[in-house]
Amino acid sequence: MKHLLNELKVKIVHTLNLEDVLPDEIDEDDQLVGGELGIDSIDVLELVMMIEKDYLIKIDNNELGEEVFSTLKALAEYVYENSPEIPH
Amino acid sequence: MTRVRVYIAGMGLISPIGHGVSQTKDSIKKAKKGIKPLSLFPTPQKEPLPVGEISESFEINDIPRTHRLALIAAKEAMADFKDIPDAVVVGVTTGGMAITEEHLKTGNRDPKSFKYHSTGSVAEYIACEYQCKGPVITVSTACSSGTVAVKIALEMLRAGKAKKILVGGADSLCRLTYYGFSSLQLIDPAGARPLDRNRRGMSVGEGAAMMLLVSDEDVPDNAIAEILGAGLSCDAYHPVAPHPEGEGAIRAMLLAIKDANISPSDIDYVNLHGTGTLDNDLSEAKALNAVFGNKKPQLSSLKGAIGHSLAASGAIEAVISAISISDGLIPANIGCDIPDPELDLNPVMKLSEEDVEIVLSNSFGFGGNNASLVIGSPEQGRHPVPLNKTLHLTVVGCACITGAGNTDKTIENVSGGKSCKGMLSISEISKDLPLRTVRRLKRLPQLALSLAVAAHESSGLSHTPSSIFFATGWGPLSETYDFLTKLYESNEQFTSPIDFVGSVHNAPAGQVAIMFESTGPNITTTGGDYSFEQSLMAASLLANDIEDTILVIGADESHKVLSGLFDRSVLLDEKLSDGGGALCLRKAETYSGLKISPLFFENAHNNTSVISSLIRILGDPKKINDEYGSLFVGIPSACREVGEKQLREFLSLSGFTNPIIDYRKFTGEFASASAVASVLAFRFAQNGEIPKRLCGGNTFSLDGKGILILGLGNFVTAIEVIT
Repeated sequence: MKHLLNELKVKIVHTLNLEDVLPDEIDEDDQLVGGELGIDSIDVLELVMMIEKDYLIKIDNNELGEEVFSTLKALAEYVYENSPEIPH
Repeated sequence: MTRVRVYIAGMGLISPIGHGVSQTKDSIKKAKKGIKPLSLFPTPQKEPLPVGEISESFEINDIPRTHRLALIAAKEAMADFKDIPDAVVVGVTTGGMAITEEHLKTGNRDPKSFKYHSTGSVAEYIACEYQCKGPVITVSTACSSGTVAVKIALEMLRAGKAKKILVGGADSLCRLTYYGFSSLQLIDPAGARPLDRNRRGMSVGEGAAMMLLVSDEDVPDNAIAEILGAGLSCDAYHPVAPHPEGEGAIRAMLLAIKDANISPSDIDYVNLHGTGTLDNDLSEAKALNAVFGNKKPQLSSLKGAIGHSLAASGAIEAVISAISISDGLIPANIGCDIPDPELDLNPVMKLSEEDVEIVLSNSFGFGGNNASLVIGSPEQGRHPVPLNKTLHLTVVGCACITGAGNTDKTIENVSGGKSCKGMLSISEISKDLPLRTVRRLKRLPQLALSLAVAAHESSGLSHTPSSIFFATGWGPLSETYDFLTKLYESNEQFTSPIDFVGSVHNAPAGQVAIMFESTGPNITTTGGDYSFEQSLMAASLLANDIEDTILVIGADESHKVLSGLFDRSVLLDEKLSDGGGALCLRKAETYSGLKISPLFFENAHNNTSVISSLIRILGDPKKINDEYGSLFVGIPSACREVGEKQLREFLSLSGFTNPIIDYRKFTGEFASASAVASVLAFRFAQNGEIPKRLCGGNTFSLDGKGILILGLGNFVTAIEVIT
């Protein structure tokens, strides 16, 4: 799980071109969308595409977005539970 | 003629529910739904998404679908007319994108194959077909383009600049919009269900509509309906999502109602934007409730029947609004089974046959771009409006960017006779922009924002411009290329929603509006090498509606793959160049200083008298030599031969002997180079002299004279900068 969290931090910074943020600065319990990082609804859709591509999970933003992208921890847990890419 | 009214004298359309007005009426009466799974191009999706596709097949050649749809609509609109329209104004967002996508996918790198790529080529194709010698304008403000085009045509007619204008909108389905809207999760898998409580999004569509608008003091016999007014606004809130309380939509509707000189209670029917997305329908409903309270007119959206044909939608809906008036029909809100109670609207669920005198038609688009149109029955007794005075605009600030650097660097180079060709580094372009603002933006929006900030700073004004006009020949090329590359690399599985949002031609203007909180009209024109002249013309036509400062920006980015494929002038130059210019303008009545005015815009195609026509508009040879101390000439390399011939003719007819500056030799080849030229002209006129390196050794004193900026080639344009 720790590995997944770190991996997601790097992917988020890279995918969203967060030039002024270091991956380690993202706190797993902080609000992900609308918080300090400046991530908004369009960024969430870009992350949805990244999650689908890299972890083979489809996320319907209208139904699940708010819950799944609430914090980094929530996102990591959702990916961990649902990705066929991650061996359980 | 000192007072005018504006009528629809001819109209035509093609949409998924019909080819032509007659079929469309039939389909409306039968509540036909034209939405079905995509078949136009193959997709790896197991179940292609439902779209508003036109089941017309065309012979395969290099004329794109958008152009063909536009021509079908134009032919119907012009069927009863032999006269040549004075101007053509078309709203387009996709242009030849569908064909470009095929070529990029197969690796075709022959520039000839991309001849009809540009959005501007649709209006030019129509103008050529009808031998229109006047202005040809392309509006690209996403989903409001067709309606904004009608507003521009309306103001041209009201200003007496034209008497008959062919105006409309066209777009065809393509991968960019099909996958793009899908990546934003804005597509309803069951097909669009506008206003329904279970709605989940829109259906992308295609189509075209064209109208012949004529101005007259009295009601002509062939008047189908009257254009009473139109209102434009910008949310300045978000690149994609509408303002949650519908603030921009409220302003657009109220401005249209005021422009039409009516009150909300005069409206019988509102043709909604009603895309079927959760946010649009909610925001539009709040706006309708704010404008009409509990006395709402009949209302319905057509998009459950025809889908959302983007730039065409506003024009199609204007024609259907005219049908509503002429035939007393209010179309049903197809796709809606149970209206969403949260919207507090009662859409027309079944076709209603009743008298309709006045219709309000809404179009709202990306970039928070709102346009509302009021159309009425052509009844006697309405008061014609006085012809609008042409307003002069005073330049209060300016900025430019070229390969040489910012405004000062560019002026230093040009003054020293040195080239400004090349591309400024992206870090240099964005150095004064907040990191958070630019993180999602690529080259063109960064150019636009940087120019906007610098032009505003140079004005010294504390408040920001209220209205943004943006001109770009080719739009955001990096975003378009990156979107398609990612799509093809993943076998059409994955795209970038951020690139899709950024690929829209008016995205940079939307970004500037958000940064400056500019809630006035926000217009993007995309007419190739003459885009900046189109924007300046639109700004001058709409200045009556704008209270405060206007910002007109022209910018283009060079792209290592696409620029050479799309723009023949780029191929002929030694290196890739890009940049742009921006002017902060105020109405001359309230501000003193150097003024800028668009004076002339004619299509040079089949127009042998274009230069003598230019001389006539400018006055006579003596006046030209008395007024202008220098001539700035822009000849795109691809039209060098024609342009030089036009210049020789101009010089011979005018006897002009003052310094001539062939500015593309300094700026390099890019579509909006004339925006840079306008900034240079302003600064030289301000200094009162043309530097010696530009006029053969001795500094040339302008002695209070102005500078004339000519655009030559496929079009001939003139802009003056005078005291």
